[in-house]
Amino acid sequence: MKPFEISIAQDGRPLIAVAGYPVAEGVLTILFGESGIGKSLSALAVAGLVEPAELTISVDRESYAHYLARGDVREYRASGFFVFQEPSSHLNPLMTLRRQLNEGSLARATNEPDVIRRLWQGNEQEAASILDVYPKPYRPSGGEKQRVLAAMAFKKMSLLRPGSSGFFVFDEPTASLDNRLRDEFIDLLVDYLPQAPAAVLLITHDYSIVARLTRRHARLSGKVAFKEMYLVRGKQEVRDFEPREYLGWVSSLKPLGPGTVPAEFALRVASGMRVLSRSYRFVRKEGDANAATLTVYKGRMTYLKGGSGLGKTTVLKTIMGLFEPEKMVVEIGGRRFTRENRRKDWSRSVWGRKMTMVFQHADEALNQRALVRDVFGGLPGFESSERNMLDALAKLFDAEAEGSFLNRPVYTLSGGQKQRLNLVRSMILQTEILLLDEPLSGLDLKASAKVIHLLEQQLARGSAILVVSHNEDIFDALTRPEDVYLLEGHKEGP
Amino acid sequence: MWCAGIGCLFLWDEIFLNAPAFDRVRAALFNTLVSGAGAVFLSLVLGWASGAAFFLLEQRRARYSFALLSLVANAIRSLPQVVLVLVGYVLLNQLILAEIIRSETAQLAWVTVTVSVAVFLEVSDTIRSRLEYFRSLEFIDAMLCCGISESRIIHREILWRNSREHLLHKLIALFGVAIFLQCSVDFIVSVGLSTNVSLSNVPLTLGSLLASVDSKQDILALSNLFSDPAYITEIVVRHLQGVSAAFCIVFTLVCFFMIANGYARSRRLNGP
Repeated sequence: MKPFEISIAQDGRPLIAVAGYPVAEGVLTILFGESGIGKSLSALAVAGLVEPAELTISVDRESYAHYLARGDVREYRASGFFVFQEPSSHLNPLMTLRRQLNEGSLARATNEPDVIRRLWQGNEQEAASILDVYPKPYRPSGGEKQRVLAAMAFKKMSLLRPGSSGFFVFDEPTASLDNRLRDEFIDLLVDYLPQAPAAVLLITHDYSIVARLTRRHARLSGKVAFKEMYLVRGKQEVRDFEPREYLGWVSSLKPLGPGTVPAEFALRVASGMRVLSRSYRFVRKEGDANAATLTVYKGRMTYLKGGSGLGKTTVLKTIMGLFEPEKMVVEIGGRRFTRENRRKDWSRSVWGRKMTMVFQHADEALNQRALVRDVFGGLPGFESSERNMLDALAKLFDAEAEGSFLNRPVYTLSGGQKQRLNLVRSMILQTEILLLDEPLSGLDLKASAKVIHLLEQQLARGSAILVVSHNEDIFDALTRPEDVYLLEGHKEGP
Repeated sequence: MWCAGIGCLFLWDEIFLNAPAFDRVRAALFNTLVSGAGAVFLSLVLGWASGAAFFLLEQRRARYSFALLSLVANAIRSLPQVVLVLVGYVLLNQLILAEIIRSETAQLAWVTVTVSVAVFLEVSDTIRSRLEYFRSLEFIDAMLCCGISESRIIHREILWRNSREHLLHKLIALFGVAIFLQCSVDFIVSVGLSTNVSLSNVPLTLGSLLASVDSKQDILALSNLFSDPAYITEIVVRHLQGVSAAFCIVFTLVCFFMIANGYARSRRLNGP
């Protein structure tokens, strides 16, 4: 297999036009890039999984039908595996996970015990209980489904024999995994790679993978290629990504805000918050018996960590007054809020005035039917003149945020552009407190650096920031140790 | 299609229908359409206001106001639409007798208001279901957290930006319902429901035109077709007033039914 030239259009409108889509035999290719620019769609096209009914597709300048009929393509499709970004779309709800894990040729693979043990970090009992369930939308969790799909891919990989060829795609395979599991997944991938004559493509926004691969698996340097996809005048281009670029940038990051603890706090959340029948407490380090009060100081950034699916977003939304807690004591800008308070209390004095929140998924946080200019409408204290809007956008957008950009419907923006718009909307409010839920989600390195620069400016103005993020490399470096909290949560009642 | 059909009918009537009868057909169609359009507009205003009020009162947990509004809505809903419009006509009769309402325009306006009161809850229900659906979406919470007012989110972001196609579809269908209701009740009232309800002086509509003696004879003449199919030539030339009124009603209802369905299909409005 060699790099592909892919073109996909819908109703004459080009969606993908990329030469050199990076796939190579025996190489693990890590592909970065802003979300929504066509990384996944290109991989689906190479793997023969795009429904051609409403699309005009060509691969290597051949029509899609001709491409799929090629002997080599048939072979690497049959021997390969595609781990989808949204694992639910892959799993059959009428079969238990265990049956699906042993469906067809997968039953011949003998490495299942090893793969399961490592992906469940030795907790085989927990794995067994998960594998015997039928997948439904909310059960098992996203992370568990991702691990099952990864296990299928590793089983299929073990079946490859010398002389054969296979194409394996892992599309955001670590999106729902916490950092320890993510590292285990990478180690597993690296262990299986030399055994399989496969082309492996890993599509991700998680730059922490760079650190793991370069520090822990330096011996693989010839077998790992880091690439980045980006848009140039509406066309996709792929370039080499230098790991040093990321590692150097991370090592240059310094804690934001003043070194001394300010006298005034902006937000304080007591441990023991209970919401949706789950109880939460904050601790300073793992296993700490003493619960702490989460305190966010003016001009400082506080980092709240926790495993996937634990409820970090729920905690942020409860602080924001969007959920009705069973128990809660929060102080926002000197005012105490408890479970007795109603939404109108937040609406009158908190939302957009004292505190605002950037939601995790920009796709869901923005009205897709609105124009970019409409996103600025109705924001308290912001005069939505064209000049003001363009000035606000310029903080996170380059030349793209000019003139007609304001009139583009939100649904036509790439995932990364939506995320930046989502951030800009909240940051121009200049509230005393800013809650950020995965602020770097879907952003490339350049955009991430710009966001961090903006956060620095917000802190310099005296804002207090509470951030939740999987990007531990980055936020551990940006936060002072005394401002890092770990979230622990447990289910109460039936 | 609707314009072409009505255009052809008028061309035919121009040639074969006597001038006073043709004037009556035109006036009846005009009054019916104006009243139907007015009823649709008023239903939109009433439905929008009540739908948004339901949503806001529920959000703010204003239990008593919500219960009162629900009571009024359920009282209207509990009566068949035809009965509601009939009640409106009874009141209109009293107002005419008391000489409170005199002009034809005022009478037509009263009929329009009556029809809209009977049908506006359909718009209200559409608005409530749209608001209910969008309440669960994250962008609403995200906008609230940014300090954007609830009223702007409801009216501009949800109803205007995300629901106007659904509302337009509902209004097209409602136009057909309004015409059907008005024609039905006009017909019933004009034929004579009782000695107390007899509106011989209200503006002419397709329903009342159809109920007039001439039109009834024209329609009854259709039964001749069973014994003498060749009588069709007489029907389309000599019995045009009743046939034209009936054609206008049926053709308009069928067309607007098809327009509403076609619009829903073209805009893929079947989902939420």
